[in-house]
Amino acid sequence: MTGIIWTENILQALAAGLLVGTIYGLMCVGLALIFGVMRVINFAQGDFMMLGMYAAFYIFGALGVSAVFGTSAGPYVAAILAGPVLFCIGYLTHKVLISHVSGTRTAHLEGEGHYAQLILTLGIALILTNGAMLFFGSFLYSLQTPLSTSAWELGPFWGDYVSVFVNKARGISAAISLGVIAVLAWMIGNSRIGRALRASADNPTAAIYMGVNVDKSHRIAFALGVAITAVAGGLLATNYPFHPYVGLEYVIVMYAGVVLGGMGSIIGAFWGGMTIGLVQQMSTLILPTQLQNTAIFVFFLLIVFFRPQGFFGRVVERT
Amino acid sequence: MLRISGLSAGYSRIPVLNDLSVEVGEGQFVSIVGPNGAGKSTLFKTISGTVTPMAGSVTFEGRDLLSVAPDRRPHLGIAHVPEGRQVFASLSVMENLQMGAYTEAGRRDWKDNLDRILTWLPVLAERRNQPAGTLSGGEQQMVAIGRGLASSPKLLMLDEPSMGLAPAIADFIFDKLIEIRRQSKLTILLVEQRVAEALDSADHGYVLEAGRVVLEGNTRTLRADDRIRQAYLGM
Repeated sequence: MTGIIWTENILQALAAGLLVGTIYGLMCVGLALIFGVMRVINFAQGDFMMLGMYAAFYIFGALGVSAVFGTSAGPYVAAILAGPVLFCIGYLTHKVLISHVSGTRTAHLEGEGHYAQLILTLGIALILTNGAMLFFGSFLYSLQTPLSTSAWELGPFWGDYVSVFVNKARGISAAISLGVIAVLAWMIGNSRIGRALRASADNPTAAIYMGVNVDKSHRIAFALGVAITAVAGGLLATNYPFHPYVGLEYVIVMYAGVVLGGMGSIIGAFWGGMTIGLVQQMSTLILPTQLQNTAIFVFFLLIVFFRPQGFFGRVVERT
Repeated sequence: MLRISGLSAGYSRIPVLNDLSVEVGEGQFVSIVGPNGAGKSTLFKTISGTVTPMAGSVTFEGRDLLSVAPDRRPHLGIAHVPEGRQVFASLSVMENLQMGAYTEAGRRDWKDNLDRILTWLPVLAERRNQPAGTLSGGEQQMVAIGRGLASSPKLLMLDEPSMGLAPAIADFIFDKLIEIRRQSKLTILLVEQRVAEALDSADHGYVLEAGRVVLEGNTRTLRADDRIRQAYLGM
């Protein structure tokens, strides 16, 4: 009998891990565009995600999305709409601030450009956190949908004993995440703008010789990265309550995911985020829940120790 | 077509180019030769806009080029095949060519250009799906030239296409340039350290030393010039 309970628990944790991992994957893909591809260190990424959560919340409530789409589909529509809103915020942030410490302006500085990025984005993070505190207060918000408390039952398997419950809210969030990643992967891989983004990241000077406005490419990549993480935030908010400081919890997970996946790889970042979701959920089988983030970093250290370039990273440095 | 006059440029106030004047007429093949450090690459970077000059003017088809943003210049019809090839290493050969066709004209003529490029440089067709960074130096040079041609340029600027290549491969590249030029009637501006090949391919030449033009003229006359024969051709 204990064997059956264990099997069920493991399958349950696996299912939860896959779902949460997919959303984390989306979150990491957003950062991968900024950090992995454009090589901008953005400490404010978690706080842009927090803004995405609030944006989804207010779009849902105030803009009538809940009235049009109902309480079940509404939060998802709101989470997706948080993307364009944060795209604009990201675009402006890059234009006004980040562009001064990144891209062609610091191309000749090699590593030096990163110091200014560290300080600037840390400052943005503080302003966003404290600004959110001022505007939204310290209450816990959540983007509740009736789906958060209902589940699909898979199974029963092996006679009548083992069945797995899939939370509907998480299931839909994961499906939307996969959809967003598929669209993004297609765009980066095949479209004219995607090719220009990759070329600008690969060799900015040569990209200028091709007639690409490299600074604008960087701005679009930054805004897109912010928007994608914001959508992930909106999706997470359907299951987890949030507050102005929530960014800090996620930004570390995001960097871990991007590094795990391998710098510069979008798909790698997705698998990095997925791994973190799985480790986090599986660890609850044997460790107290409070230690789930510790489990993530123990695993992270092991991977970095044995495979420093990450899952999908290239061993050879780019020339 | 391209007129450079009184150009002075350099890095951090140290001048590399000194009151330089160069002219390229439509349909001409012009070579600029000279030793390392003469300022050849700086000249190209000034034309492309990655170096801002201290004095002088650059006009292209009568238009002041210096007032055009660097990333808009390719759209006017100037293709720069940079020193050291500078292919997009992580992009496939085909994607590198597509990046060349980023200009308005390049997009319009993409199909025709691609056919011509792959006929001239068939090795690119064989390697089309390979990341450009995994190619040999000679192949990367062909990617860089193909990428330049894909933009449908009026003026093709080549910065030391023979650099770092085995002599046989460098010869092959020069032969290709002559073939491409003959068939396309393209205007070409070439800078080279390999003086003999550069002068043989072109119809007009400039000799650059320490940022100044020390000799210029018809390439046949230049080849016969004693100073050139002694200093560069070892005769």
